[in-house]
Amino acid sequence: MATEARHVQNSLKDGKWIRSTCKMCLHSCGSLIHVTDDGVINKIEGDPTNPSNNGKLCPKGNSAIMRHYDPKRFKQPLRRTNPEKGPNVDPMWEPISWDEALDLVASELKKTIEDDPRKILPSLEDFQKMNVWNWPLAFGNQNSFQSGGTMCGGAYHPVNGYIHSSFAVANDAKHCNYWVNDGTGDGFSSHLHAAAQANWVADARIKRGMRCVTIEPRLSISAAKSEEWIPIRPATDRHFALGLCHVMANEKRCDYEFLRKDTNAPYLVGPDGTFMRNEEGTIYVWDSESASAKLWNDPSLGELALEGTYSLDGKECKPAFQKFLDILEECTPEKMSEVTTVPAETIIRIAREFSEAAQIGATIEIDGRTLPLRPAGYNYYRGAQGHKHGFQTNHAFKMVNFLVGNIDAPGGLCGVTLDDQWIDKSHIIPGENGMIEPQPHQLGPLPPFAYPPTTAHLLNYFPVGLHPPHLNMLTFENPEKYGLDFKPDVMFVLHSNPLWAMQGPREKWFEFMKSMRFIAVSDIIPTETTVWADVILPSHDALESWNMTMIEPPHTEGMCLRQPAVEPLYDTKSEEDIMTELSERMGILDAYNEVINIVSGFHQKPELLLQPGRKYSDKEIAERKGLLWNDKPLDWYIEHGHSVTPRRTDKWYRPWEGLRLHFYIEDMVTLPRELRQKMEDAQVPFRDEWDFDDYQPLPTTVLDPVHSEPPEYDLYGIFFKDIQINFGESLSNPWIKDIVFRDPVHIALILNPKTAEKQGLKSGDIVRAESPHGMIFGRIGVSEGMHPDTLGVSNSLSRIKVRHEGVRHAGGHFNDLLPYDLHNTDAVTGQPETVCKVKLTKLDDWPEALKQGKSVYDLVDELKRPGKAGSH
Amino acid sequence: MATRDFPIVGDSLVLGYRFQRHWDNSMATAFFFGELGAGLFLIGALYGSLISMIFGVSITAILKTYFHMAHMGVPGRAWRAMIRPDRSWISRGFISIVVFTGAALLNILLNGFGLAETLGGGAVVSAIAWLMKVLSIMAALFVMTYHGFAIADSSSISFWNTGLMPVSSVAYSALSGVVLALSLDPAATAAGTFLLPSAHGAALILLVVTTIVLLAMINAANRGSPGARKSVRLLLKDGPYAAWFFGIVMAVGLLLPFVLLVLSEPNRLVYLVTAAAILAGYFSFRVLVFKIGLYDPIISFAPET
Amino acid sequence: MARMGMVFDIRRCIGCNACVVGCKQENSLPDGVFFTRTLSEDYGVYPNAGRVYIPTLCNHCEDAPCEKVCPSGATYTREDGIVMVDDNKCIGCNSCAVACPYDQRTALGKDLFEKGLFGEGELTAFEEQGYTRFTPGTVTKCDFCSERVDAGLDPACVVTCPTDARIFGDLDDPESKPAKLIKERGGRPPMPEKNTKPKVYYVT
Repeated sequence: MATEARHVQNSLKDGKWIRSTCKMCLHSCGSLIHVTDDGVINKIEGDPTNPSNNGKLCPKGNSAIMRHYDPKRFKQPLRRTNPEKGPNVDPMWEPISWDEALDLVASELKKTIEDDPRKILPSLEDFQKMNVWNWPLAFGNQNSFQSGGTMCGGAYHPVNGYIHSSFAVANDAKHCNYWVNDGTGDGFSSHLHAAAQANWVADARIKRGMRCVTIEPRLSISAAKSEEWIPIRPATDRHFALGLCHVMANEKRCDYEFLRKDTNAPYLVGPDGTFMRNEEGTIYVWDSESASAKLWNDPSLGELALEGTYSLDGKECKPAFQKFLDILEECTPEKMSEVTTVPAETIIRIAREFSEAAQIGATIEIDGRTLPLRPAGYNYYRGAQGHKHGFQTNHAFKMVNFLVGNIDAPGGLCGVTLDDQWIDKSHIIPGENGMIEPQPHQLGPLPPFAYPPTTAHLLNYFPVGLHPPHLNMLTFENPEKYGLDFKPDVMFVLHSNPLWAMQGPREKWFEFMKSMRFIAVSDIIPTETTVWADVILPSHDALESWNMTMIEPPHTEGMCLRQPAVEPLYDTKSEEDIMTELSERMGILDAYNEVINIVSGFHQKPELLLQPGRKYSDKEIAERKGLLWNDKPLDWYIEHGHSVTPRRTDKWYRPWEGLRLHFYIEDMVTLPRELRQKMEDAQVPFRDEWDFDDYQPLPTTVLDPVHSEPPEYDLYGIFFKDIQINFGESLSNPWIKDIVFRDPVHIALILNPKTAEKQGLKSGDIVRAESPHGMIFGRIGVSEGMHPDTLGVSNSLSRIKVRHEGVRHAGGHFNDLLPYDLHNTDAVTGQPETVCKVKLTKLDDWPEALKQGKSVYDLVDELKRPGKAGSH
Repeated sequence: MATRDFPIVGDSLVLGYRFQRHWDNSMATAFFFGELGAGLFLIGALYGSLISMIFGVSITAILKTYFHMAHMGVPGRAWRAMIRPDRSWISRGFISIVVFTGAALLNILLNGFGLAETLGGGAVVSAIAWLMKVLSIMAALFVMTYHGFAIADSSSISFWNTGLMPVSSVAYSALSGVVLALSLDPAATAAGTFLLPSAHGAALILLVVTTIVLLAMINAANRGSPGARKSVRLLLKDGPYAAWFFGIVMAVGLLLPFVLLVLSEPNRLVYLVTAAAILAGYFSFRVLVFKIGLYDPIISFAPET
Repeated sequence: MARMGMVFDIRRCIGCNACVVGCKQENSLPDGVFFTRTLSEDYGVYPNAGRVYIPTLCNHCEDAPCEKVCPSGATYTREDGIVMVDDNKCIGCNSCAVACPYDQRTALGKDLFEKGLFGEGELTAFEEQGYTRFTPGTVTKCDFCSERVDAGLDPACVVTCPTDARIFGDLDDPESKPAKLIKERGGRPPMPEKNTKPKVYYVT
């Protein structure tokens, strides 16, 4: 080993660097992979040529090598020999050949499809491979058991689709001077291309003096780094936002020109909540100059009225903006303060600071366009939006931005597409009456209304929903009530761990799993879900396979290539090979190829279309996606690794120029009406339980039901992640373990010290935390960085015992405490409540079941032991 | 430096005091035997107890070395420890142990077993014998002291970084040497030579001196830097160490021997019990000093309030 | 001659510890061994509570106490000021670890190379190729990725840092990034009272 004698540092050893794309979370950061002459991957760095991550990788991206070399990886296809199933029951795997495994799985799936395709419950969560993600469409199945929809942004994505026609949003770090984060770590610790965003935001803060304000119940990384942390009672962020809107509207701190010209705020709303239209369906506005109603596109229009009450055809009507002002009347800072615990003066001050920073009226010249410069953005994500009234909550945050006219403006809140597919494609579609076409279904079309339902998670009744997988439990427990005339009993899982992430008590989900006749799982390492499988189809990891993707990049666009750095370590296959082999055996290969064509956008360049009767590899699909983007062949991508460039400013800033945005979401008036009628017509038995009131064209102050739980549940339970454990699993990774369990934020159930004192608890006490829906156990820690009404629980404490030595269990998963009922589910989007009320009981010791095996707390104690700490 | 009360943080990623963990019980034991052996040898030499001298040098040469090797990461390279006497107390100590062992053995052979006379007692032989006697005593004194310097030399651990540390080494070393000599060899109970008090008297004086040095050291640390104060708190109040310190180091190791030596009729059994008690206290002290060693928080950025 | 040093921009650091993982990758560090750590410091009382993140590593002191106490001559300072440990000479006495006021040294217990990162007594191919650099029983620490520095590269933690909170260069060159930053924003060395003359500074 002469090379190693020469160099001991991994990046300098003899070998080669390969440009590829990270997959330690769903985002597609460019990476450089170093492979030694002996074929060992020994260093992964960010690719400095890729602007989508600015040459940086987060701690997870830095730890990908340990996923690749995890000794617990599945090394060949496996079949269960132990008929007994349980969360920690040894499946007694027996190695089988790929042919046997594929035949076995395909025959079970085929048999089921022939019987009733709705009986298959898929959970495919490889977000970097939408072609695989959408596989069930090939046999007309729209069930879903994956948690991505609700634990991510069940309401966030549909609302972004309404407002920006985009999947995600981000504050424009390149021009922003006043950055608000509400319940998110964007720019510091989480969400879109976290490492790159952190880089831009740090630059903006240091070089431009950008001010940051974080609203959150806990002192997160974002809060700690912000100039101001505003602690807030959980699940009241919407009220804070409406309080800001109240102040800005009252003090006339709004961009009225933007509202008049670029939104539907001046459109007249009639008494039934829909816009006032003529017979042709053209919408009226009120012309202040002529003091008359005119059509929105009337060339003789003077200044449009935003305020006031008018009469048209004998009907009382108001501009949409006035409707919002009516709501804001009751949203005084004082009233919102009572709900949020944020002092009224703070609400007033932030509203003033924010609107002043927005520089309403300022413009900037970019690439030959004169654009409004609005260097203030109110950004938010999972923590703030994950509530029963998720749609309204997201809409309320948008309103703060609407009022200062920063939507898609330089410095403001800009739409971020999931993947544009090809360089010249615009994500904006013109809609009716001068407005953009709402695109709430960012992940593809939803199943149409049907009764009996065609989906086990009742997606037929969420016309703008993302998958609400927790509702699978409702129909499982009570199929008659929900009219389910089929029972899903075959599960297919790929890179998904619903048994870890699903909300509701684990015990119930164990019963759910036991009710499955057959479960096939494709994954890399053992998880909470793989232990239930009848067959394991082991896949390559991201260092062994091909892919081409781009996932919601702020500021940039392009395609990122994943290419194998090494030959597969084990007898595994790519996801594409697994799915096409299965499809062929199931007789649905042509249908699947067509799904890939649609999902990947190959119809836009017909020469790229997958042909019937052929199986395409991961490499071939990757190549086509590259060709679709910029006509560059695979060899070009292999050399360059990506085609990422800064996002064309005509796509990034006001890509809808000339169209109007949906300030007022009229669909929220018409859709529930249609749904109610359909449910009435079909005599859907649970129609009276459906919360049609959740549909609101403008956000209201309605309280989420979590606030009305019985009073003995005296604390709010919240759940959080940080940058080391963002998105998918990384706790089994020894390098992540080394940093996470040394961080006090991640090793205890955290209370404010005064709250702990009131509860008679101190640091180190073992407690049971119960919500009306479930219970967990844990050890108390105290921090001044916690809202006094709140119990904070890190995701690092969420694992249960799995057959992986590296995974340390704690006292149960926080999601056990969360509801899975309709009452706590947004009837618009399917977003469930992700905050709960809890009560704590001090215990003398851990329950027996938690004493056995390696727990997080064992490790923490080991690290704290005097004289033992460190690795002496 | 640190104006706030920082926590002790173990090996976590938190700013605070971190336990010294690099010198472990094995190192403490080596130090203990090194000092004990040298002290015993010195007392033996001063009070004419050959058996004490033999035991003394054996303890240092064998037990100290054994425990050092047990602690050392690459014992095969132990010889390298001697190459930096210009700046390292470990090097100086290493050399002093070699010199002490050699000189002490020659001293024992030449003077104790009368090898000098057997060899004819010529001027050269007598000079060498005398030289070895002086050298071994000086080396013993150095060995008794250097451990304290090696510990106190580190400015990183505030509690250790005091001039009283080597004084405590000498005091404890001499004290344990005296009581062990008394229990090993009744001959040592004879009156002292030169200006020395009787060994019994010396034991009493050293008990008092050691107690005073110990208390002075703790007192000084308690008035010193926050890190040293934190160590004192660990020693006297928090955690498992207080009971150990008050029970074994103070009560069994100092108070009980004092009472025994003052009140009982001096006899071998009393000396044996006294020696056992003092050694238990002394050993505990050595271990505890390492256990309560704390590194200060590196740098604080909390705004002044 | 150059005097290599580092500046930590406390305002930039987000405590993500990507640097730590980047370092572990680059240097094949065994389980629980750190050449760099980012610490957190909580202060204040709710609602005026705050937290800062404080990166730490070997300060490559000019008057390095670790070098002074090293009995075997294993610790030495390169001409460019990087403090090194020659693991062919280190005897593993740990005097240096005790002497370092910053607690930046770690003894490499033999068990680390047997247990492996996954703790299962089985070394990964990554570990097999990496552990050859270590001599079990010796004491080790950050060397500013001296091989990378020799190759004209920044240390691994510096290139890894998502927020560019670590700035590396020649402190003697008034035009270097770290020298300018120290001057412009008033760099503070850690524990100046220990008189070790660190070549690592913090700016706020």
